[in-house]
Amino acid sequence: MPDFSPDNNKLTLKVVFYGPALSGKTTNLMQLHTLLNPERKGELMVLETRDDRTLFFDMLPLGLKGISGFDLRLKLYTVPGQVQHDSTRKAVLSRADGVVFVADSQLNQQDNNAIAFGNLEENLDKVGLDIDTLPMVVQFNKRDLPRVAGERELQDRWADTPWAPLIMASALKGEGVIQTFRSLLDRLYTRVDEEFRLAETHGINRQEFVDRLGRSSKSEVPHGYL
Amino acid sequence: MDTFEDDPTLSQLLNAEQLSRLHQCLSKLCREPVMLTEAHPGNDATAVEFNLDTVGWLSGGQGPQEREAAADLVSFLMLFIGKYRLAANLHHDTTEASYAELQRQNEALRESEARYRELSNQLQQKVDEQVGVIRQTQQELYESARMRSVGQLAAGVAHEINNPIGFISSNLRVARDYVKDIQAMLPDSAENRELATDFHDLLNESIEGTSRIAAIVTDLKTFSSIDQADYTRCNIRALLASAIHLVQTEYDHRLRITEQLHDMPEISGHPSRLSQTFFNLLDNAAQALGNSETRDNSRILVKALAQNDRIQITIQDNGCGIPDSHRPRVFDAFYTTRPVGSGTGLGLTVAQDTVRAHGGQLQLHSREGAGTRVLLTLPIS
Ligand SMILES: Nc1nc2c(ncn2[C@@H]2O[C@H](COP(=O)(O)OP(=O)(O)OP(=O)(O)O)[C@@H](O)[C@H]2O)c(=O)[nH]1
Ligand SMILES: [Mg+2]
Repeated sequence: MPDFSPDNNKLTLKVVFYGPALSGKTTNLMQLHTLLNPERKGELMVLETRDDRTLFFDMLPLGLKGISGFDLRLKLYTVPGQVQHDSTRKAVLSRADGVVFVADSQLNQQDNNAIAFGNLEENLDKVGLDIDTLPMVVQFNKRDLPRVAGERELQDRWADTPWAPLIMASALKGEGVIQTFRSLLDRLYTRVDEEFRLAETHGINRQEFVDRLGRSSKSEVPHGYL
Repeated sequence: MDTFEDDPTLSQLLNAEQLSRLHQCLSKLCREPVMLTEAHPGNDATAVEFNLDTVGWLSGGQGPQEREAAADLVSFLMLFIGKYRLAANLHHDTTEASYAELQRQNEALRESEARYRELSNQLQQKVDEQVGVIRQTQQELYESARMRSVGQLAAGVAHEINNPIGFISSNLRVARDYVKDIQAMLPDSAENRELATDFHDLLNESIEGTSRIAAIVTDLKTFSSIDQADYTRCNIRALLASAIHLVQTEYDHRLRITEQLHDMPEISGHPSRLSQTFFNLLDNAAQALGNSETRDNSRILVKALAQNDRIQITIQDNGCGIPDSHRPRVFDAFYTTRPVGSGTGLGLTVAQDTVRAHGGQLQLHSREGAGTRVLLTLPIS
């Protein structure tokens, strides 16, 4: 649920990167920190890791200013993917406004993807969020590796879900990371605009929302998003 | 609601003591003293940011460049203080959530434990009941085995007595006729007349004795089911009517019996055993009325009707009733409270055996001084 404080005209949105252990959630966030050139970008906080595995969460704050001092913040979080950190996952997931599900494309990881997705459904339910209406994109990461599930097959399998089309990515190489994020921004805008009239009240239309938060540092010219 | 991710204020990140130490350290590094405050101090100040939020303002120093450098250093420090705070808050949140969850589970566990305890109590109760039933059945089995052997003995005795009592009885009647003949042949004197009359009375008494013995033999035979014939269709109404007639004959029609006999379907049964049962129960009732049998208000009620799939027969008297101390034993074979010679003590035993053999039930309600009600239920099919 978006957190709006009228005192300082500040709206904070929360996006959570979810997925099985080692699927590349932290790598996605690190790449966004490097590749994004949004209006405002804070420090990437990598909280605590052991052997490169997240123990608490990672967090990257982004932001943009609207007309008459409207302060929009976007906090990107990753959860720890390892099964034993479920209570941390649940705490980080609570009050999320959007979710990026980072799946591992490797053939031997398909069961773990399914388990993690089931866990997401379960935890969303526990924190009182509805998976069918929550803005969410599904990314299949590690496309650069040799033994991965075929894209056609994956797209077909997910075709009838609200999360089609899937986004293929190689977070390690920085490919598909921004595309994933911009796709999420697009879906998020629909929800937030419904409630906060971003265009009407704050002069932020869909294109601006996606560009000003999801602008790539490589091109000065804004992307046609996606 | 506070969550771990709420943006912290300067005072949440650093307490007063830590802040003053930071002032000292920074002031030593700078050429002019610097100050970090949460609110804008009003004069020249540089914002200190944490997570895109301005958490404080740095003022003082020797110009903007020095302030800028100091603010940068503070922001850098804030990153680590903030990280720690975030991790600690998250830890606190998850611990609390886990504890709440644990408590909920514990509560659920306690509830289910209580449910199981309840269930186990119910089961124990059922087991106890069943054990009771088994014990009862065992006892009854033992009793019935005992009764069977008693029955066999009785059957043997009855069989052995039946013949001699038959010829004794008929011989006595012939002898009574002979006494008449002999009296006719003797000279008619007062002494002879007295002798003949005495002899006649003597034989009459003996004949009465033999018929009592014959009645006991009949009881025994019924009790031991010597004459077990096949079941036939029984008209309960007719059987009751004839038993009433029989008992009236026995008591010279002095009993006041109210009959409420409704139409009932015929049932499969053993007519002579049922008749015997009805007779026994009516006889018991008549005896309970005792010498008061002619009293105005002494009555026997005989009621029979079909209800659902059973026939209900009530035989009720307002006689002397059965004392509480006797009631537990009234169904025991050979148990009687009556003077020796007035019955075998098999009446109720035979009645109960017969009713059970017909798949029915016999219930006895009695209060001393108020009367006795016997309720028979017999299944129709
Ligand atoms: N080949 C390849 N490796 C990747 C890719 N993305 C991430 N990895 C590697 O996978 C490993 C795990 O990546 P992380 O980003 O730490 O995974 P995570 O999802 O944050 O893992 P947890 O924090 O344990 O949940 C690292 O060694 C990454 O370098 C990718 O696109 N291709
Ligand atoms: Mg991680």
